[in-house]
Amino acid sequence: MKAAELLESRKNNWRELDQLCSKMEQRRYRKSTAESVSRFAALYRAACADLALADAYHLPPGTVHYLHQLVGRAHNQLYRSRLFNFHAWGEEMFRRLPQRLFCDNALRLSFCVFWGIFLISMYLASDYSPVPDFAEAVAGKETLEQMELMYEEPISSNNRGAEMFGFMAGFYVWNNAGIGLRCFAAGLVYGVGGLFALVFNAALLGTIFGHMTTVSMSDNFFHFVTAHGPFELTAVVLSAAAGMRLGFSLVDTGGLRRGDSLRKAAGEAMPTAMAAVILFILAAGIEGFISPSPLPYSVKAAVFGISCALLLFYFVLLGLPRVDDELG
Amino acid sequence: MSSRSSPIDGQIQIVTPENIAFEYRLAGPFVRLPAYLLDKLLQFACIFVLGMVLMFTLGSMGMPGLGMGTTFIFTFVLNWFYGGLFETFWNGQTPGKRAMGIRVVTTDGQPITAIQAVLRNFLRLVDGLPMAAGSVLPLFQFGLICCLLNRRFQRLGDIACGTMVIYEMHHGLRGLSRVDEPLVRQLAAAIPPAFPVDRNLARALSKYVDRRRFFSPARRAEIARHVAQPLCERFGLPPNTSGDALLCALYNRSFITEMPEEERRDDAPEKNPFLFNNAKPTALVDGSFDWSPEETAAK
Repeated sequence: MKAAELLESRKNNWRELDQLCSKMEQRRYRKSTAESVSRFAALYRAACADLALADAYHLPPGTVHYLHQLVGRAHNQLYRSRLFNFHAWGEEMFRRLPQRLFCDNALRLSFCVFWGIFLISMYLASDYSPVPDFAEAVAGKETLEQMELMYEEPISSNNRGAEMFGFMAGFYVWNNAGIGLRCFAAGLVYGVGGLFALVFNAALLGTIFGHMTTVSMSDNFFHFVTAHGPFELTAVVLSAAAGMRLGFSLVDTGGLRRGDSLRKAAGEAMPTAMAAVILFILAAGIEGFISPSPLPYSVKAAVFGISCALLLFYFVLLGLPRVDDELG
Repeated sequence: MSSRSSPIDGQIQIVTPENIAFEYRLAGPFVRLPAYLLDKLLQFACIFVLGMVLMFTLGSMGMPGLGMGTTFIFTFVLNWFYGGLFETFWNGQTPGKRAMGIRVVTTDGQPITAIQAVLRNFLRLVDGLPMAAGSVLPLFQFGLICCLLNRRFQRLGDIACGTMVIYEMHHGLRGLSRVDEPLVRQLAAAIPPAFPVDRNLARALSKYVDRRRFFSPARRAEIARHVAQPLCERFGLPPNTSGDALLCALYNRSFITEMPEEERRDDAPEKNPFLFNNAKPTALVDGSFDWSPEETAAK
C-alpha cells in the first residue's frame, strides 16, 4: 500500500483517537463511558501498530511525528495516575510511616543533635554557665533585648483582640513551616545542609531559652512557649530528619546507583516531611490561639501534656515493630 | 518500561509495555526558566491581589489582624504548594509551563503523582542555590549544572522524583506534500519501475519535499545535487537534468502513486509487485541503491 492510501485509510481513526484524548484530558477518567473506553483502547492499539510499522510503511517524517505525539498522549491517558488516594495515604501516614521512623537512624541522629545542642546552649546561656557572654555571642544583643521586650507584659494582662490571634497563627504557619521545609530541602546537600540548619536552630533556640531563665520576665516567656513547644520542636526535628534521609541516601546507596537510591529515599522522606508540615500547622494554631491567650497556666500545661501524649502515641505505640509485619 | 535518549537532538525514546517506542522532546533549562518566571509573577500577583482584598474586606469589618493572618497562610501555600498542586491537578503543568508548552512527566513517560509533584517543587530550593541579594534571589546554578550533567535535563528535584520536563507536541496531522509540475511528471516516466527506494532514501526524499517550498530554486538545486547526480548516472539521464524535479518525481512514485499516469500502469508489466507491499523494503538489498549521507558527504 502506498503511504498516501494508507494515510487516507487511517486518518479518521487517528482523528477519532485524538478527539477521545482531548475529551479525556478535560474530564475525569471515570466519567467516560464504557464504550468510549473500549473504543479508545482499540484505537490506541491500532495507532501503536501503525507507529511500529511506520518505517515499513514508508510514512513521511511529519506523519511519524504526529503519530509519536498521538501515541504519547493516548499512553498518558491509559496509564494515568490516580490523583489522590486517601485510603492509601492514611495507611502510609498512620501505619507505615511511624514504623519506619521508629528505626530510622536519620531521625535518631536528628533528635540527638537537636536536643543535645539545645540543652548545651541552654546550659551555657544560663546563670550557671562557665562562659559568661555565651548568649550575647550566639544570639546577639539586639535579639535578646527584643525577646525581653516581647515578654515584658504578663500574658494574662494581654488585651489584644481575639482576631489578632488569627494574624499570629497565619504568621507562624508561614514563618515556621517555611523554616521547616527549608530545613528539609537543604538536607539534600549530602545531609550537611539539613544538619547545619538543625544545629543553627537548636543553638539559637537553646540560647534564648537559657537566657530567658536569667531575666525577670522568665515566667511570661515559659507561660507562652509551653503549649506549642512539643509540636513545634518535634516538627523541626522531623523535617531535618526527612532532609537528612535524602542527603544520606546519596552517601550510603545500599548498592544502588546514586540516582535510584535518592529516588527510593525521596519516596520515604516525603511522608515524613508532610508529617512535619502538619505538626507545624498544628503548632501554629496552638501558638496563635492558645499560647497568647489569657487562659490560666494549668490549661496550657494540659495542652502540653496532651500534645506530648499524642506524639508518644504516634511515634512509640504506632511505631513499635510488629510481629505480623516481620512474618509477612 | 524503559527510556533512552540520543545524546544529540534532545529527543527521548520511551518504550511502552506494548513494546512500542515513541518519542518525547526534552525541555531544557532555557525554556523552563521563562516558565518559572511566569509562575513567580503569577504567584506575586495572586498574593498581592488576595492580600489586598482580604485586608480591605476583613479590615473594614474591624478584623485587620485576621486579614493579615490569612494573607500569611495564602503566602505560605502559594510559596510551597503552588507548583505541587497545579502539577497534580493539571497533569504536570503549571500556568507558566502551559504557556511555554511544556509538561512534567515521569522518566517512564507517565503522568506524575501528587507526591512527585509536591516533592520536586520543595526541592527547587536546593536547585535555586546559591542565593543572591541577601538570600532571597535564587540564581539556579545548582539546577543548571545538574541539568547539563545528565541526559534528560533533570534538575536535582527531578532526579529525586524520577521526573523530566518535555515539550507538549501538538502538531496536527498534515497530509502528504504534493508536487504536480509538468517536468516532474515527465521525469517520473524516466525512472526505471524496478528501482527500489530504501528506507533512508525514502526518508530523505520526504524531508526534502516537505521543506523545498522554503528554498529558492538555486538552493534546491544545490541540495538536490548530492542525491540526484548519482541517480542521473544510474538512470542514464543527461547530467543537466533538474535534480529538484528528479527527487520530486521519485517522491511521487514512492509515496503517492505507483506510476505517474494512469495509462502507464496498464502497459507496465515489469512492475515489481513486491516493492511497496513488502513489509521490509530493505530486504531487497540486491541491486538496491545504496544511499547514505556519509557517502555523499565524502563525495
